[in-house]
Amino acid sequence: MPRPPSSSAAASTRSTVAGFFADPWHVMALVAIGFLLLFVALPLGELVRQSFVGQRSNAIGIENFQTFFGSRYFRRALANSLTIGAIGTSIALLVGVPLALAFARLEFAGKRACEIAILMSMLSPPFVGAYAWILLFGRSGIVTGFFRDLGFDPPTIYGPLGISLAVAFGLYPIVFLIVRSGLSRIDRSLEEAAANLGRGPLYVTFSVTLPVLAPALVTSALLVFLNIVSDFGTPSILGEGERYPVLATLAFSLFLSEIGAETGMAATTSVVLIAISLALVLAARGLAQRRVVANDGGGTRAAQPVRGLGGFGVALGVGALVTIANMPLLVVVVSSFLEVRGVVFQPVPTFANFAKAWATMGDALWNSLVYAGIALVGVVVAGSLIGYFTARRDGQVARALDLLVMVPYVVPGTVLGIGYASVFNDAPLYLTGTSTVLVLMYFTRRLPYMTRASSSVVYQIDRSLEEASLNLGAPPLAGFRRIMAPLMRPGILAGASIAWVEIFNELSASIVLYTAATRTLPVAAYQQSLGGDVGVAAAYGAMLIAVTALALALFAAASGRGRAGDAGWL
Amino acid sequence: MSPGAIAASPRAGMSAPVEISGLAKRYATFTALGGVDLKIEGGELLTLLGPSGCGKTTLLRAVAGFLAPDSGSIRIGGRTVDGVPAQKRNIGMVFQNYAIFPHMSVADNVAYGLRARGLPDDAIKARTAKALAQVRLSALAGRFPDAMSGGQKQRVGLARAMAVEPDVLLMDEPLSNLDAKLRVEMREEIRRMQREIGITTIYVTHDQEEALAISDRVAVMERGEIRQIASPREIYEQPQHAFVAEFIGGCNWFDATYEGDTLRLAAGPAIRPMPGAAPERRQTRAVRVAIRGEDLRIAADGDDPAACLSGRTTMISFLGQRVRVQARLDASEAAMHADLPASLDLPAEGAPIRLAFDAARLRMFDAADGRRIA
Repeated sequence: MPRPPSSSAAASTRSTVAGFFADPWHVMALVAIGFLLLFVALPLGELVRQSFVGQRSNAIGIENFQTFFGSRYFRRALANSLTIGAIGTSIALLVGVPLALAFARLEFAGKRACEIAILMSMLSPPFVGAYAWILLFGRSGIVTGFFRDLGFDPPTIYGPLGISLAVAFGLYPIVFLIVRSGLSRIDRSLEEAAANLGRGPLYVTFSVTLPVLAPALVTSALLVFLNIVSDFGTPSILGEGERYPVLATLAFSLFLSEIGAETGMAATTSVVLIAISLALVLAARGLAQRRVVANDGGGTRAAQPVRGLGGFGVALGVGALVTIANMPLLVVVVSSFLEVRGVVFQPVPTFANFAKAWATMGDALWNSLVYAGIALVGVVVAGSLIGYFTARRDGQVARALDLLVMVPYVVPGTVLGIGYASVFNDAPLYLTGTSTVLVLMYFTRRLPYMTRASSSVVYQIDRSLEEASLNLGAPPLAGFRRIMAPLMRPGILAGASIAWVEIFNELSASIVLYTAATRTLPVAAYQQSLGGDVGVAAAYGAMLIAVTALALALFAAASGRGRAGDAGWL
Repeated sequence: MSPGAIAASPRAGMSAPVEISGLAKRYATFTALGGVDLKIEGGELLTLLGPSGCGKTTLLRAVAGFLAPDSGSIRIGGRTVDGVPAQKRNIGMVFQNYAIFPHMSVADNVAYGLRARGLPDDAIKARTAKALAQVRLSALAGRFPDAMSGGQKQRVGLARAMAVEPDVLLMDEPLSNLDAKLRVEMREEIRRMQREIGITTIYVTHDQEEALAISDRVAVMERGEIRQIASPREIYEQPQHAFVAEFIGGCNWFDATYEGDTLRLAAGPAIRPMPGAAPERRQTRAVRVAIRGEDLRIAADGDDPAACLSGRTTMISFLGQRVRVQARLDASEAAMHADLPASLDLPAEGAPIRLAFDAARLRMFDAADGRRIA
């Protein structure tokens, strides 16, 4: 039977303005909307405005866009962005989808270890991976040197292929996780029906499994593509800046060029970048929503054990893929403990890199911990509440908030950074150069993900639990605290741990907004990777990885506490 | 929270009458409740019965305070609850999917409402133990719900609702997620508890057998309206609306006209005088006539031909005590069924059959508005 759309608690037949504000959830929602208008809509609006103010003529018009599309240089950056996006996404799918199929369908030796390894490759910021690829395959890389000694030149890591590989090996876990969870939701009777109708396993995979997985594939490809085109660090390091410009690095250098910033063109480049992301999100939404795949209750297929030679083959294949993907992580950590002579690592263990890193680091580590910590707390609290509100309430306020909170999702970090730097550099909100602007930026960038994590948890919790709580006499907020909060906790913690990885390692907006006093650890690591001391760069990379991993272990411990936390955590 | 925040009704605690008047709820595309009037006596178990979308759940949720009606009024124990939020109504509710808090033990679930009322600890303990004893779950007080069966969860739900000593108990399809055998056991147990405690209960179901078995009175709903309220027996034997006749038990239906005191079946016999029509409704009109399968028998030689239908059997299904014979009438090709004692010698499938009925067992309804004429 059609359930009445509104399940809100109070049965007041009159909805007055006073009644609207008497609901604490409405006040919270309006505060959130106000915040998002100020810290998302305003900076983006300013960028759009600037993009229509001619860089030379200062007149309102499309001069900047004419410059952009009329110049070979800009067109090349656009083509480069799309190229690495396409190649990188393809590689991530080629690695992630078979792994997901293997994990969902097969039981083999070393599965658990491989799973941990896959999740580990999400740990480090992509540009640390890029740096590791340089250590291996760069001009003075270990592998390059080895091949050179044998007398031939390996293909270069600098350029589109290297960038695509580096980003893909950092991002394929997204594909793996989304596709695997998609597979676990496919009703096994679908595949059984296809097999029963006389089709072999390979045909079933291509004719039933993959098409039914289309939404998961589209979603993961979209996420990977968005991540690649908005990435700043990897193309900057492996593209050697001006040699292989992409939109994100171009916007950055136009905005902060020491020779004379071209803010109008920086804004235009940013707008083009947002337009690409937005178009992709809309296209993907259309593709993914065309069919809804529901499990009709047939249950999912259990993983089949593979033994003997087949099992060995699967384990070997998965192991090899995962090892390659984790190579950057290993290389960075190992090199950080090796002695450096000139620009070459020697097989001599030492702590000298860390001592040097510690000495030159200044406040970078401390800044990162404090800013990311504050932003994380904010994002977890606000994301949980907003996610709950948008999942449980109907009406225009909830819809507006749901839409607005997702906007930063399509805005590359560099673009948001440029927007903040353009808007908040004057009274009344003079924030540029402060630590506050960094915290606000982290918060805003992660809010969409945390909100989605929270609302998807809320959707899984039966509405009638809250109704039961009300019915038993507990007021709405008490019900939220005693019923919803403890039930949402595991999902929120999982969302929070991903948020921590992303916030702590954030580079592409920090690089625009940092100052000498507010430099963060990723910025320091990036600067050292870009032609600094290779040993110190490796040490910074290792520190980023270590802090991230430590925090993840803490989150895992917290969510493992189980029923001890029944009292609620809010 | 102060203990007085959830006020029990002034009239004696758990057997408060409920009066609903003119309750309406309309959505953009359909009417969930079209102005319902209903009085539930103190201590009575009243079932709201009807198909999906008939408004029964909407009505229940309006009483619980989970949705605001567009108009109309609800009084519980003589006190109006319009505009009183759900958490202050002192109503117990048992949910279709149990709604047991998964992160709390059985005892904590049952104590939840008592804690919300700020009762002292020893009172909470005593009343939790009492409620658990009532549903025979004392042994499982420390268990968590994930290790329990559906039937056990529903008992926890019942104990949790009863522990707060509500004015009224609401049950929203409480048995629909249980298997058939457990459903019968549980409904007997619910009935036993309800009688013992004497609590006013509104019970929602779409299962007619369950409704007939458990209720003092049944209100049959269709499209946001109550079609009939009566005892289970009367609902079955004297349906006052074509929908009620069809929904409860099912019938054979014939189009007919009613003129003066004569009922003329569109294809078949004329019956006069048609017994029992209310005088004010005796006018010429199109009617629909119903007869239940068990009110038909195989015709004997002496039967009045005006009370016989001849046709050909199409299918015979053995159902245990009875046999359902499906047939197609010679005159109209209309399909009909008869439920006959299994002990009879039956015609073969495809053979001719003559079925007789007692005109007094015919139910005649206005074809336009579905209301009973005779």
